[in-house]
Amino acid sequence: MARRSRKSSAKRGAVNWQGPVAGAAVALILGGGLYVALNGSGPSPSRSAGEEGGFDIAAYRTDASRLTGNRYRIIGRVENIDTIGNDRMVAVSVAGNKQERLPLLVPESVSSRVNLTRGDTFVFEADCRTGRDESQCEVKGVLVVSRIETK
Amino acid sequence: MKALDVLALSFLCGWAMLPLAADEPAASPAPAEQAPAPSQPNQQAAPTLDLSGGQKTPDGQNADVRLLGMEVPLLDPSNDTVAYNGGLFDVGNNAVVRARFEKYLYESPEDSKEVQRYMKKLEAILKLTQKSARSSAEVGSETLLQIGRGLYELGDFPMDGNQSPALAGGIASALAVQYANLKRDKKNEATQKEIDKLVDDTNRMTNYNTGRGTRQVGVKGNTASATTITSNTVKIAQGTKNIGLKEAGIVKNDTDSVAATEMAKLNYQSMIISFLMERRFDHALIGANTFRHIFRDGDTQLKLDENSKASKMFTNLTGTTPTVSALASLAANMRREVDRNMQAVDAQLAQSHLSEATQHLIEAVAVGEYMQSVAAFPLAKRARIAEFWTLRKRTLTALNARDYAKAEDVAKRMKELDSDFDDSLLRSYCAGRKQQSNLELRNAVKALKAGNEEEFNKHITEAGTIWPLNPKLAEGREQLERIDSQDGVLDEFKVLVERGDYRTIYNEQDKFEVVALNPELKAQYKEAITVVSTIDGMLKQLDGAAAQDATMGPCMAYEMLLEQQGNEKYEKDARFRDALARYALGAHDFVQALEAAEACENRGELGSALSNFYRAQCLYPRSEKAGKGVKRVTERILKAKF
Repeated sequence: MARRSRKSSAKRGAVNWQGPVAGAAVALILGGGLYVALNGSGPSPSRSAGEEGGFDIAAYRTDASRLTGNRYRIIGRVENIDTIGNDRMVAVSVAGNKQERLPLLVPESVSSRVNLTRGDTFVFEADCRTGRDESQCEVKGVLVVSRIETK
Repeated sequence: MKALDVLALSFLCGWAMLPLAADEPAASPAPAEQAPAPSQPNQQAAPTLDLSGGQKTPDGQNADVRLLGMEVPLLDPSNDTVAYNGGLFDVGNNAVVRARFEKYLYESPEDSKEVQRYMKKLEAILKLTQKSARSSAEVGSETLLQIGRGLYELGDFPMDGNQSPALAGGIASALAVQYANLKRDKKNEATQKEIDKLVDDTNRMTNYNTGRGTRQVGVKGNTASATTITSNTVKIAQGTKNIGLKEAGIVKNDTDSVAATEMAKLNYQSMIISFLMERRFDHALIGANTFRHIFRDGDTQLKLDENSKASKMFTNLTGTTPTVSALASLAANMRREVDRNMQAVDAQLAQSHLSEATQHLIEAVAVGEYMQSVAAFPLAKRARIAEFWTLRKRTLTALNARDYAKAEDVAKRMKELDSDFDDSLLRSYCAGRKQQSNLELRNAVKALKAGNEEEFNKHITEAGTIWPLNPKLAEGREQLERIDSQDGVLDEFKVLVERGDYRTIYNEQDKFEVVALNPELKAQYKEAITVVSTIDGMLKQLDGAAAQDATMGPCMAYEMLLEQQGNEKYEKDARFRDALARYALGAHDFVQALEAAEACENRGELGSALSNFYRAQCLYPRSEKAGKGVKRVTERILKAKF
């Protein structure tokens, strides 16, 4: 239930947007139209129009840093919420895989727009990023939510 | 205890005397004038009195025994012993006493109609003896005849044991002496008349010879007179001699009568006392009451040696000279005391106070074995007391054998039967002896450790002497044998400890138990046993819990074992390692998720790490390791800058 990102090359579930020109043009038109229809405004020109399908959590568990730079649109049910400061770490389950949880970092700026409640299903738009912790060590492969919509 | 009670119990001599009876001298022959006496109830208690003050046995040796000079046994209630003829008899644990009492307990009660008829007749005779002794007959009376006939009839009853005919025979013997005395009295009267006639004749002839009266001495032609005088002189001499002889005969008869009467009284009193000592109180009472019917001279004083304990006993009781009446009173009191004892036994049995009931029954049987109230005591009640008595015997036997554990067990059973039974003394005694033995054993072990064989032998012997069946003695002996035969075990044990192979020590703990004698190795031995026991206990619990949930059970067990993995002693145990591997296989996905999470976390792949921890949590939601991982990684991510 996620849309494909823009950059991942070998990964299943990620499609290179630099395909044939015609296909790209059609895809751009259709994806952009659909995105605008769903979200109102488009965040990044690099984001590709993903297709509805299962986010491969197993692949994410194996090596999330390989997904860095990709943006995903994930439909998930909130199972758990942990909070430190104003940011939240939300564990969501995706359809078809109840034995997995996908961790999503929801910054305060995003979570304040919607009332995140355990048990409810939302559409999360997230970017896979790398950051640095307090001791300046790399924190790789974290899905940082930039937008949340109510399902 | 009242004086009478003490006296009553003193008649336990009826039992205590039995072994001594053979030592008593035989009765000496009766005097010539005395009629042959019928069989006496207790011949050794009726020796013939030598009027000169001494007594001879048939073999002519002097015997230091006079009538009742032999000690009457006296009970010391403080320790249940009877002093008799210089010896002490334990009434509570005397073989003869036990045998008699046990025989009584298992006998059928004498409560048949025949017995009741017997008792009625005996009571009737007893009443007859209380009638007045006045009679017109010179010897005996109609009442006495009725008593004698009644007693002979009682001899037909088996339960009488021929005691009544013996008493009747005693009465007949005494009467025979009285008849003999009467005969002598009559003979004396006749002799006295002859003497009087002789005196008259002598006086007449003396007067004739001396010319007193009408004849003139020296008248001429009176030749015949001289002849007569000469003849008279001879007759006077003969008459005087005859008078002397006859008077001597009278004196002899009188002396014989006095001696025979004394002897008859003596024998009769002996018979009464014999009945008393044999606890035939009814017969003793009949005999004592009949005494005044037979001997009407009013002398009822008992012929006792002043220095005898019996004499002192009577004096202490009454403060006066002992008499036949005192005997009668004593017998009557005995009967009453026995009946009261039996009433007490009934009451105590009703309240299950078996200990006190047994004590009272022993006293009642000891004093009044032949009395109706004792003889008719029901069999069911006897059985209850017999059970308690048997337990008491077992206790004594166990104490004699120094088997204190058994003595305590028996005392416990007695306490169950009789809640009022005071076993505190017995218990404290047994506990004390057991502790003493154990203390000696402890000292023996100390001596063994110190290598002092002499002290060891001394203490071990003492421990065995105090409590031969002390179970620790056998254990100690086995340990010593093992030490002697298995010195190599110590070396093997040290190698196993060095390898951390506690499991082998545990599996062969009987073999390695001997190392416990060494304080240092003992600690290691205990640790090995404790560690393996703990592991086994833990695995047993885990197996049980894991079997309840095929999915999460292995995860739970794996995580529990994982927590112990840091313990080196556990890790070295093969069974622990096997279990860990087995549960890791059963919880493969869970284990894989945890391991992947930790690997990702170490690489800084916190997104993957958190996802793996979530995965582990989904497989086993109560996982502490996963929970802690989630918390730890979440904190790191939330505090990071992106």
